[in-house]
Amino acid sequence: MRRLLVILVTTLAAGLVASCGGGAKDTPAPTTTPPPARATPPGIAPDLQKKTGALPAGTEPPTGGTLRLLWSDPPTLDPALVSDTTSAGIIVEAFNGLVALNTDLQIVPELAESWTISGGGTIYEFKLRKDIKFSNGDPITASDFKYSLERALHPDTESSVSEIYLGDIVGAKGVIDGRGKVTNVAGIEAVDDRTLRLTIDSPKAYFLAKLTYPTAFVVSKRNVTQSGQKWTEKPVSSGPFVISEYKIGQRITLSRNDSYWGRKPYLDKVVLNLAGGQAMAMYENDEVDLTGVGLADLERVQDPSEPLNKDLVTIPPSFSISYVGFHISKPPFDDPKFRQALNHAVNKELIAEQVYSNLVIPAYGIIPPNFPGFSDKTQGLKFDPDKAKQLLSESKYADKATRPRIIVTIPGTGGSPSLDIEVLADMWKRVLDVDIEIQQVEWATYLQDLNRRRLQVWGGLGWEADYPDPQDFIDILFYSESAGNHGLYKDALVDANVLAARTEQDVRKRVQLYNEAEQRILNSAAWLPLWFDTDSKALIKPWVKNYRFTPIIVEKYRDVYILK
Amino acid sequence: MLAGPPTGNRGDSDFRGDARIAPALFRPRRVFKSQTPLTSAAFRWKVPRMLAYIARRLLWTPFLLIFVSLFVFTLGLYGPGDPVEVRLGQNYTPERAERLRDQLGLNDSFFTQYVRYVSNALKGDFGESLRFQGQKVTQILGPKIWVSVQLNVIAFAISLGVGLPLGFYVAKRQGSWQDPVVVLTALVLYALPVFITAPFLVWIFALELHWVPTAGWGGFLDKRIILPAVVIGIPGIAVFVRLMRASTLDILGQDYIRTARAKGLSEFTVNARHTGRNALLPIVTVTFFSLAGLLGGALVVELIFGVPGVGRLSLEAITARDYNVVMALTIMGATALVVANLLMDIAYTVVDPRIRLQ
Amino acid sequence: MTEAAATIPASGRTAKGDGPLAVAWRRLKKKRLAMAAVVILVILYAAGIFAPLVATHHYAQTDLTQTQKAPSGKHWFGTDRLGRDLYSRVLYSVQTTAIITIITVLSGSLVLGVSLGLVGGYFRGWIDTVLSRVGELISSFPDILLILLLAATLRPRFLGIARWVEDTWGLKGMVASGVVDFVMLAVVFLPMSWFGTFRLVRGQVLAVREADFVQAAKATGASTRRVLFTHVLPNVIGPIIVSASFGVGAIAGSEALLSFIGLGVQPPRPSLGTMLSDVNLRSSGAGVSILRDHPEQLIFPALAVWLFIFCWSLLGDALTDVFNPKSK
Repeated sequence: MRRLLVILVTTLAAGLVASCGGGAKDTPAPTTTPPPARATPPGIAPDLQKKTGALPAGTEPPTGGTLRLLWSDPPTLDPALVSDTTSAGIIVEAFNGLVALNTDLQIVPELAESWTISGGGTIYEFKLRKDIKFSNGDPITASDFKYSLERALHPDTESSVSEIYLGDIVGAKGVIDGRGKVTNVAGIEAVDDRTLRLTIDSPKAYFLAKLTYPTAFVVSKRNVTQSGQKWTEKPVSSGPFVISEYKIGQRITLSRNDSYWGRKPYLDKVVLNLAGGQAMAMYENDEVDLTGVGLADLERVQDPSEPLNKDLVTIPPSFSISYVGFHISKPPFDDPKFRQALNHAVNKELIAEQVYSNLVIPAYGIIPPNFPGFSDKTQGLKFDPDKAKQLLSESKYADKATRPRIIVTIPGTGGSPSLDIEVLADMWKRVLDVDIEIQQVEWATYLQDLNRRRLQVWGGLGWEADYPDPQDFIDILFYSESAGNHGLYKDALVDANVLAARTEQDVRKRVQLYNEAEQRILNSAAWLPLWFDTDSKALIKPWVKNYRFTPIIVEKYRDVYILK
Repeated sequence: MLAGPPTGNRGDSDFRGDARIAPALFRPRRVFKSQTPLTSAAFRWKVPRMLAYIARRLLWTPFLLIFVSLFVFTLGLYGPGDPVEVRLGQNYTPERAERLRDQLGLNDSFFTQYVRYVSNALKGDFGESLRFQGQKVTQILGPKIWVSVQLNVIAFAISLGVGLPLGFYVAKRQGSWQDPVVVLTALVLYALPVFITAPFLVWIFALELHWVPTAGWGGFLDKRIILPAVVIGIPGIAVFVRLMRASTLDILGQDYIRTARAKGLSEFTVNARHTGRNALLPIVTVTFFSLAGLLGGALVVELIFGVPGVGRLSLEAITARDYNVVMALTIMGATALVVANLLMDIAYTVVDPRIRLQ
Repeated sequence: MTEAAATIPASGRTAKGDGPLAVAWRRLKKKRLAMAAVVILVILYAAGIFAPLVATHHYAQTDLTQTQKAPSGKHWFGTDRLGRDLYSRVLYSVQTTAIITIITVLSGSLVLGVSLGLVGGYFRGWIDTVLSRVGELISSFPDILLILLLAATLRPRFLGIARWVEDTWGLKGMVASGVVDFVMLAVVFLPMSWFGTFRLVRGQVLAVREADFVQAAKATGASTRRVLFTHVLPNVIGPIIVSASFGVGAIAGSEALLSFIGLGVQPPRPSLGTMLSDVNLRSSGAGVSILRDHPEQLIFPALAVWLFIFCWSLLGDALTDVFNPKSK
């Protein structure tokens, strides 16, 4: 998923664990996704999914019960518009598409029962399941998919992500730029009621994975056109759950969808509490069934004598990186030496250990560990104060008096939102005598400034993988023409590698292209990479069984049951 | 801010001065002078003047609301952040922005936009939220206002329920040790920030004693309303203890109380029929104003306790640049204040016959 | 609008050579509680103003080997999550509060309120009408909303101007040191802080200008200015001081609130509000956890906020009595 997320490491504590799950899809899809560069099969190692409880073999889990979680108001409930984790976590439970990721993070058939790839990797033909229905009983046909995808691309839908996930389809750009006059996408054909054919512009290995993103989910035309913009208040959907109630600022209730094609959920309801509150205290008082453990409580719950200790589980890391971005054309960041100096001046190990109690691991690369394309040979810029000082003295901006003003912008509201920026400021000050100004702006304005590339330095931001392919990091974030390249980084070799990798069919070669580009980006210090995610802690009530923490957002409440 | 106790000097009415910043509870608009029992003669004398006065206030009200809405509207248009850019996000291109601007009518002149907004607002349509696309502002606002009203009514009941009897009690005990202790405690509580009372109460009553839940919302009859209401109500207790004490002291010094005692009425009758009732009168008038002002005052409490009320909504709307919601909130808030002001003025003139209407 | 008719006091002077202030001070000195409040406030403000001398560390100085330590000889109030010295941070936060309260009271209540009050009361007519109406208008805004709105919309403008000034004249550190935040907050509180004093002064001027002794002074050829300054101001000084002392507590509280929700003073400059939100809001309300495990991180800043509000209220109370001897 294309998501920018604020990596406040401690949001884990907010009990949004469930919604903060990562974004990368990992396991290679049949025939398409490249295996990782490492010798061991990548995928998500088994220890990356944690599961709670287990039932003796042969026993059928009990039906009924309610799962209570903490959440926050989703920016949207329209699958076509999703660009954030909060919305996605709900949408993947209520809506679905041709293919999906299961809790083992493999691409599996969902509404399509099978597919074939032909035309040299450019034609995808999906066969839909028999008798699939929306929650209102209407049958789902290939033309519903054609409608849904074209709707997502239509400018009136105002989706900020459709181009990224569906833009590979032949004719999609024409609709996006068609000012509302063009609606037909040539590359989407409903051959018959049960056959959908998608044609893409070139053989892109990661296309199938992109279809697991909500933008490609099916919606009911009748529901959308009849209810207008309000349709998401009580949407007709085809996933295991339906959104039966949404009270802004209070709660969202997901109820079992009896029209779901597959095995129905065990739970009657999932109640998402949107009102906020003190997560930990709510958990202790039995008001929610699950919460992340924040820094403030970590020590206490890890104490074996503490009653909460027995509810403690470990959550696998998400595939994400948080970083400080530099705008490469704004002085003083136009000088690589200056950027390198800032990189070398930061002692990430110390911060990770002392400030974050090792809930993060220092990042010296861009592609997260265990992610396809991760290479342990990639070398980042390590903490080295002497080298930092030397680089600074060699840079154009050695003189403090004439050095341009440095403004680090961080998102959010609330007193002091970012621990790491305050430490960085102090480290830069002490090692290099570089002063910075910290400027906090609201999230909406922050994203706007970021997208318009008005920010000089930005922090408090992370990137979470959308699908299991290094393209999702290197191409989206650093290709000079990419919308996700917020710092206007431009490097001929990186661009060449990225373009070549898009259609390179040899997996090893492809990964190598990305790794070369990654090393080059690191050497020139386009970013200050900060943290990769690592195991974190959560508390889960003992009666919640079979809940799986996954490093990305996938539909998963269907398997959960309550056993009191 | 604490209102000074009623004192003899008319100039006192302005002593609250800068108090506007403090929550409304702490700035009753007037400090009350000694009271005489209300007589029907005094009331009759005042009625025509009062009507004229009310008419004048009512005429001024629309102008006031126009100014308020104009001010917020201007801030919305020229403040930082462009709703169109926010909505388009990564998809931003100048052409798309232009199209959306046309669609939303943002290219019309300021005046046209404003008139359109006001005429819609008069019909009860405050437009759509920019943050929650497709949601009417009134739809979002309605339930939140109801939540805040419930919370504040309970909080207010706590303030009154504890504050008034306690104030009355210590006034009757003037000179004993209870009096200064209670007055000082009231002041201590009043100055206590919610940042500390909230977590402290949660710790004691939710986590240690398990009497109440820690957070959330379930309406009037739900246990979850207790803690936030108490936290909001605590400073109010302090205010009402002091108001009631001062007001009672004033009454106790009056001739008619002495007369009542001299007539041999029982102490209970004197307390209930004479002292208490008359001491309450000035406080009743304050309550109108306090209730209206309270709605915005519970912001931090709503944040900490996860109460889906107006305070949180206003903060979220302001930071997310959801100006349609902000405008509706401000206009409704201002209307509530104006009405409360009016009611209070009326109540005040009814209660104190000596006040002169200009 | 109903208004109690202002009292017409005798001339501003009571006894020979004894200004109202001197009298008030003598009365105040007899009130023990109030004097305790005065002493605490003096200490608070002195600590704030001399924070750079009294503090043991710089407020932004982190020490990652000393995080979350309990109070000790080295760190009197302990340290926070970044190993910053809480004692020093509280001191600098108190400085922030001290500066903002002083600026706001001076600019809002005293300068703006008094001068506009004099103007309105003396000239009456349309000026007076306009000022009164504007004041009423502002009063009809819900306070908190207005403060939030102004803070959210003004900050970017202020920062822009300050950066432009710095870059144009080669100044440094205005933004970094938090000066811009102070000015912004003062402006945000301004609309609410002038009206009380304005009405006070205006009412007094209206009342006094018809009084016999003023008419007499005028008849003897005293200038307008002289009349205003010798007869009007001394009469309102008491009420102004009382109203200001109540106002200061409220401003301190409001500043903490604004910083708490991130619209006030910005890091790295500390404020009591940010310190409290650090432990309360981060991690979605870890207030309880902090209170149990590291109470010093919550209690010291909260105590400072409390002292500001408490002492000023106590003092305001006492001053009410002091300036209104009839009340006893």
